[in-house]
Amino acid sequence: MTVAQLQARGAELPENGTPFAVQVSGLTKVYPNGPRAVDSISFDVKEGEIFGLLGPNGAGKTTTIKMITTLSPPTSGSIRVFGIDVTSSPQRVREMLGFVPQAISVDGDLTGYENLLIFAKLFSVDREKRKERINEALDLFGLADRANDLVKHYSGGMMRRLEIAQALVNRPRLLFLDEPSIGLDPYSRMQVISHIRQLNRDFGTTILITTHDMAEADELCDRLAIMNLGKIAVSGAPRELKRAVGGDVLTVTISGKVPDSIPADLGSLVSSEQGTVKILTVDGEKAIPHITNYFEQNGVVVESVSLSRPTLDDVFMKYAKAPLRQEGSFREARSARRTISRHGR
Amino acid sequence: MISLQRSVSSAFTIAEMEARKIRHDSTELWMRTVQPALWLLIFGEVFNTLRGLAPGGFSYIQYIAPGVLAQSVLFVAIFYGINIVWERDVGLLTKLLSTPSSRTSVVVGKALAAGVRGIFMGVTLFALALIIGVNLRFDPLDVAGVFLVVVLFAMCFSCLSMTLASFLKTRDRMMGIGQVITMPLFFASNAIYPLSLMPVWLQYVSKYNPLSYVVDAMRSMLLTGDYSGLPVDILVLLASTAFFVFCGSTLMKRLIE
Repeated sequence: MTVAQLQARGAELPENGTPFAVQVSGLTKVYPNGPRAVDSISFDVKEGEIFGLLGPNGAGKTTTIKMITTLSPPTSGSIRVFGIDVTSSPQRVREMLGFVPQAISVDGDLTGYENLLIFAKLFSVDREKRKERINEALDLFGLADRANDLVKHYSGGMMRRLEIAQALVNRPRLLFLDEPSIGLDPYSRMQVISHIRQLNRDFGTTILITTHDMAEADELCDRLAIMNLGKIAVSGAPRELKRAVGGDVLTVTISGKVPDSIPADLGSLVSSEQGTVKILTVDGEKAIPHITNYFEQNGVVVESVSLSRPTLDDVFMKYAKAPLRQEGSFREARSARRTISRHGR
Repeated sequence: MISLQRSVSSAFTIAEMEARKIRHDSTELWMRTVQPALWLLIFGEVFNTLRGLAPGGFSYIQYIAPGVLAQSVLFVAIFYGINIVWERDVGLLTKLLSTPSSRTSVVVGKALAAGVRGIFMGVTLFALALIIGVNLRFDPLDVAGVFLVVVLFAMCFSCLSMTLASFLKTRDRMMGIGQVITMPLFFASNAIYPLSLMPVWLQYVSKYNPLSYVVDAMRSMLLTGDYSGLPVDILVLLASTAFFVFCGSTLMKRLIE
């Protein structure tokens, strides 16, 4: 679909002209006799980006994904996928989607090839293209030699790769991955991540991913939103979010007289004792030479400098820690847990 | 028009999935053939010695052969909801429902898949009947008709089972309800004895039992060659299938929400 066609449908375009893949506004889901699993959230995913939806268990991530993938009707609010309304034309929306649920969803009683074949047929991939694409996908994901084995004999990592390979056959414009690396060993996890990147880079697939793994989110996502108790607590690019949480900390080991203060433009002194000085700065990398210079001009010998940056973990902890101790929120947390047991995650 | 064509092709693709699974491993279905075989070989042979049990001058084993076929298909179909619950538990159902296929085509596809299993039961039972020399009318058109009834019947009861699954939601409960339903259906039907032998109240019950119509249709094609009741039988079966397909596809979403 071209930009002009999208505009004709009344879809809004961001300032740089890239169409929105997903536009969510005022989205709410209330389960009968249950809590507000999703509470009036709004966010956009731009075409071609990898967008992360992060948050603790029961935050409403999976419910949000279910609503965007048309599996669960929203209580209120609107969702558009490439400009098409999810509630009024669910089938047209599903044609553009790929979905890798949290639980491994390949069929163990079929071979790897058959799994790809059946879903290619369900997505109406042309008969001529089918075989070629399936073989290409199996090759690329290192599954070609096991293509005719039953999937129940695959390892967990291979099953996940097969699920992502599906996207290579069906070529959805938007791919949902719900906790794709959960339960995988580090090597399989690395493979899965590199395949996700590959899909995004080589086929321009827009990707919406949920994860608990902050390192993974940091590595993979162009932008992300952190959800907590059904709301979006904060959103933005990982870099900005980390910067907002606080600056970099430089730990300088010195020999000589420990300074009592440093010039303000270098940063602020956090602690200074027994030959170790901690300095908080905005941009640690750039500050290192300045600080070293300053110390050496003042007759202090710098032995080593180490830089520690705020991680996405810090961002997560700041916005998403379950606020059990805050008044009145215990019941909310408990009901969130009930939602999990009743509806699965 | 395109969407209808697409729905039909989705349904057949889902049935193809089942056929491929049976090709890889048919152990479960072979085990399921043991019970009907026992009905024919033991129950049938024993009661065969009693004269006058079956109407129309047929031997008893001839009389119950269509009933046993219907029963074996009923068993396959009524437990089909367990598969759906299992597929929900492992995430396969979510994946199927996130494809462009409509809800109805997913349900019809699953029902056709139960039909594929029914055909398997039919083929093995026909083979057994041939081996032990049960004299049935093996006219090609009649046999084709019986298979059509088998598929419709399997679709009807697998959809009932899927409808129940959307309320009961666990495999254990589905096992339980399957047991609760099958035996009364079986005994309140003309599968192993004629309606005329039943107490009057049971005759009324069996009038509302779809299994009676199925057995009647099969018996008319395999045994009597008297097709006078066939239109009503097929009509009842078609109507109940349509009804349960509707229920199944409307309620399917309860399983994944």
